[in-house]
Amino acid sequence: MFKSNLSKFIILLALFLAGALLSLSIGGSQSFSVLDAETNNFIFWQIRFPKTITAILAGSTLSIAGLILQLMFRNPLAGPYVLGISSGASLFVATTFLTGNAFNLFSNYFFGKSMVVVSSIFGSLIITFLILALSKKINNNVILLLIGLMISQICGALQGFLEYFANPNSLKAFVIWGMGSLGGTTNLDLLIYSPIAVLGLIAVLFFIKPLTAFLLGENYAINSGINYSKNRFYLILISSLLTGVTTAFCGPIAFVGIAIPILSRIIFKTSNQKIHVISCMLIGSCVLLFSDALCHNLLKNTVLPINMITTFVGAPLVIYLLFKSKQW
Amino acid sequence: METKTCITINEATLGYKKNKQNVEVLKSINLQFNTTDFIGIVGLNGTGKSTLLKTLCGLLAPLNGNIHINNKNYNQLTTLELAKQISAVLTEKISGFNLTCYDAVAMGQLPYTNLFNTLTTQNYNIINNAIEVCGLKNHQHKLLNELSDGLFQKTMIAKCVAQQTPIMLLDEPSAFLDYASKHELFLLLQKFTTQQQKCILVSSHDLDLVLKYCKKLLVVNNNSAELISTSEALHHPVFKQISGGYIF
Repeated sequence: MFKSNLSKFIILLALFLAGALLSLSIGGSQSFSVLDAETNNFIFWQIRFPKTITAILAGSTLSIAGLILQLMFRNPLAGPYVLGISSGASLFVATTFLTGNAFNLFSNYFFGKSMVVVSSIFGSLIITFLILALSKKINNNVILLLIGLMISQICGALQGFLEYFANPNSLKAFVIWGMGSLGGTTNLDLLIYSPIAVLGLIAVLFFIKPLTAFLLGENYAINSGINYSKNRFYLILISSLLTGVTTAFCGPIAFVGIAIPILSRIIFKTSNQKIHVISCMLIGSCVLLFSDALCHNLLKNTVLPINMITTFVGAPLVIYLLFKSKQW
Repeated sequence: METKTCITINEATLGYKKNKQNVEVLKSINLQFNTTDFIGIVGLNGTGKSTLLKTLCGLLAPLNGNIHINNKNYNQLTTLELAKQISAVLTEKISGFNLTCYDAVAMGQLPYTNLFNTLTTQNYNIINNAIEVCGLKNHQHKLLNELSDGLFQKTMIAKCVAQQTPIMLLDEPSAFLDYASKHELFLLLQKFTTQQQKCILVSSHDLDLVLKYCKKLLVVNNNSAELISTSEALHHPVFKQISGGYIF
């Protein structure tokens, strides 16, 4: 058992390294050799390096947020995007970004970015608590999904309302952000993004035990000596932090959060959450690294939005699961 | 064999909160359970069998009164301390997330593992022993949703065995089981009371089984609970009412 899991991990690690190399070597400018060394250097360190790191961070954080939500709701169809949590983050970012720009609050870089990050995390937190309150009234996985969809629509409508009154320049920047992109993060951004993301990912490791207990549901978890409400509160905090910080820098990225934990359970046929936490980070990174490579290469001279690729992979997987009665 | 008192309930009122109002289900009850007790809880639906069990395993707080578990005040026990005293088989059905029979039994060791839930050789031995005792050896690698109802209940009982608690509570474990599985289940529980001196409380609608295997019956009716010996059950007015007079 251990041996086969080890070989799967080695394959994932190899894919991860290959993906990282691919992402570092492929970008908007295909002909690396034609340019002079200084330009090459600039492209590598200022454009591709942050993009690759962002892909790894975004893949890991969204997958882990999805894993936490799925275990917490005991629902294999939960995820930050489908439950409307990403949209909540977007709405709060829109409010901060558009009003902030209107009053010229963002002249200081770190202040502006921090405001966006904080409001994004706050938005995820509010929607997660809302979904949690609603989930207590219903006991059906698919209905929870539908409610998430509706919340997503409401957030979208409110956001549209804000956009309507925004000035053209900030609106353009915001709309591009809303499409989801890994390429918009600079090295300076990474100084804020990576510590928060890494902190959140490390924190999850200390919640392996409650996450395992959550597999049997609330009542059995309590009977196993787990302080359920306290652990659930911290886990909501962590998943909102992970979703919020990634959404602040990359925009709402679709289906990664729901699909990766499911893939992880299909690949590793185990309920051991230690394995899933590690493998979700690896698979999530791989998927975004390769999706990013696809975005740059499917069409010549055009970079496709990352959400197009992730939706094409993620949405059919969800439909497939809805058809299959067996729960993952 | 010498028995010890392990649960004392003193003038306790049990129930739940609905819209911030107390709903009293069992009023001012006084009960005492000992080691090696095998007690069948009987009563019509909605009389408070589940409320009693849920309160004892920490899912509901008592509205009033005192409960002592092995001479310790229930209200002062942490969730973890309670989990080392009382294990429970609840009515909910668990499946999905790649959970196997073995994984579910292993959950019984959760109160004893470290922060990262690392299992030691000792933990593994206890889990394997629980699986062996409950006769699940040939089924341990099956997924929970592949198990029959009888095997699923045995799995959850094995989880309780792995939890190594002196007290075991079971909420209607014989529902949905076939005839043979019901008897196997009660025989298994009976074995734990005699061989491991556990105190077992089991609620059930299968009155014939309860009469056959349990030493005492807890008759729950009209906001109160009364402990009677099995032999006097047939002449007890409340038991007659619960059985509808259909037994023998």
